[in-house]
Amino acid sequence: MSLPYGATLALQSLRREKWINLISVLTIASALLIISIAVFVVYNIDAATRSLPERFSMVLYLDDDIQKDRVDGIISTLRRNSAVRSVRYIPKDEALRELKAVLKNSTYVFEGLDENPLPDTLELKLRKEAVGPEAARKLSDEALRIKGVREVDYGEKFLATLHSLRTGAKTVGIVLIVILSTGIVFVCYSTVKILFYRRKDEIETFKLLGATRAFIRAPFLIEGGAIGLAGGLIGLIGIFAFYYAVLLRLSVSMPVFKAVLFPSGLFLFLPGVGIFLGVTGAAVALGRLRY
Amino acid sequence: MDLIQFQAVGKDYDNQTALRDITLSVGKGEMIFITGPSGSGKTTLLKLVYLAEKPDRGAILIGDVEMETLREAQIPLLRRTIGVVFQDFRLLDNKNVFENIAIALRIRGISEKEVKTKVFDTLKMVNLRHKADAYPRALSGGEQQRVVISRAIVADPTVLLADEPTGNLDPGTAEGVMRIFKEINARGTTVLIATHNRELYRNTGRRVFTLDSGSLVGEVRG
Ligand SMILES: Nc1ncnc2c1ncn2[C@@H]1O[C@H](COP(=O)(O)OP(=O)(O)OP(=O)(O)O)[C@@H](O)[C@H]1O
Ligand SMILES: [Mg+2]
Repeated sequence: MSLPYGATLALQSLRREKWINLISVLTIASALLIISIAVFVVYNIDAATRSLPERFSMVLYLDDDIQKDRVDGIISTLRRNSAVRSVRYIPKDEALRELKAVLKNSTYVFEGLDENPLPDTLELKLRKEAVGPEAARKLSDEALRIKGVREVDYGEKFLATLHSLRTGAKTVGIVLIVILSTGIVFVCYSTVKILFYRRKDEIETFKLLGATRAFIRAPFLIEGGAIGLAGGLIGLIGIFAFYYAVLLRLSVSMPVFKAVLFPSGLFLFLPGVGIFLGVTGAAVALGRLRY
Repeated sequence: MDLIQFQAVGKDYDNQTALRDITLSVGKGEMIFITGPSGSGKTTLLKLVYLAEKPDRGAILIGDVEMETLREAQIPLLRRTIGVVFQDFRLLDNKNVFENIAIALRIRGISEKEVKTKVFDTLKMVNLRHKADAYPRALSGGEQQRVVISRAIVADPTVLLADEPTGNLDPGTAEGVMRIFKEINARGTTVLIATHNRELYRNTGRRVFTLDSGSLVGEVRG
């Protein structure tokens, strides 16, 4: 069983031009490693902040001396709102009890208070998709329009910061991936172009003997793919080495790192990504060359 | 029946005319010679047949196909029907003799088994069986020339174009090569040979075209 001839030619070229190919492979491996680290960081920021919205709540302060049936009216209005997951009524007495429980060692704060200074409140939990600066503001405005609601508090700043951290990390990650992927395609493009010019005489002879464009292209596409594959495999080894040698070791001395997640399944795509980018670079190069 | 026809063909390089107003035809199964001094246009004429160059004037037909009308993708298919002994050899110096000849078959997608038999058969014909593993740079000029001839005939072409095929051969070997060409011709291949060497066509009874400064100045029987 012999390899298709295109693969044989590609292998010969890989061996003959080993320095150019080695440099390309290492460049691609470095770029893929940086991409992997970016994916790793974004993945962790995302995972760490994903559960926060579930704990997020909005507090509605109600008018003083509000009637119980008015409160029920407000609650049922809110329940009908699609952004609201649950509503909990906290009468001011209970609120004071909770507060006193929290401040149990400093009850002197409450000395001299003959009246409960706290208002009745409603605590809203939001549906996941409504936890964002805009949706939260909209709900807050709607709530304020309901008669009997005096004030709304929902940690506007916190939500906005969280939101921009998530989108910021994703944006930086995507930009980095796009730039580096383009870079990898360009490296393969340049490599194939150099290899092509080095073999120009040979290609001219092939053509004169009756070779089709496909016959001439195949070895270069295979070579581009092979360079990408090698880069991907080294990148894969690199990211696993980074995880086991650096992160796991760090987490022994600094337990914070124990929380770090390693999406190993995602990184198994690296060789495939390498092949794809390599073949793409080769195809772009072949498309632009006259032959 | 005419296999190759030149109709008032002209060819210019940059600012120089290499061929002017060439009209000739070669019949199917014929063997002809093209002669003339250095620079007279012999190689250029052959290049027009295997489409390494395009004519600036006139028309070239192979069979009844006008070359001008060929699409890019059809050119390789036409070239596969033609075997060429290049004047400048065009051997691949990073491949051994076997591979240099085999490439002509691999391009055609021929199976590995058939490649082996055909290449060794052809090598035997030119007495180079023992050099199959040698690289071109380790061969004498005459041996290289015979490798080129092997590559040109290994795929049983319909047309064989031989550009100065005996330029590096001693008279004995040259005679051997001519015997091979005659054999191939006898099997039906149309053969065009460009040469300075009168000995090749003397007393052959074949048509000999003479070029001078790009013009066809004579047609005689050898
Ligand atoms: N690629 C080229 N570019 C420019 N001029 C060329 C080119 N090829 C050939 N010529 C010129 O065209 C003319 C014909 O060249 P050609 O190679 O056809 O001659 P020839 O008869 O084969 O000569 P020889 O017997 O030396 O091989 C020559 O004057 C040559 O200098
Ligand atoms: Mg010549």
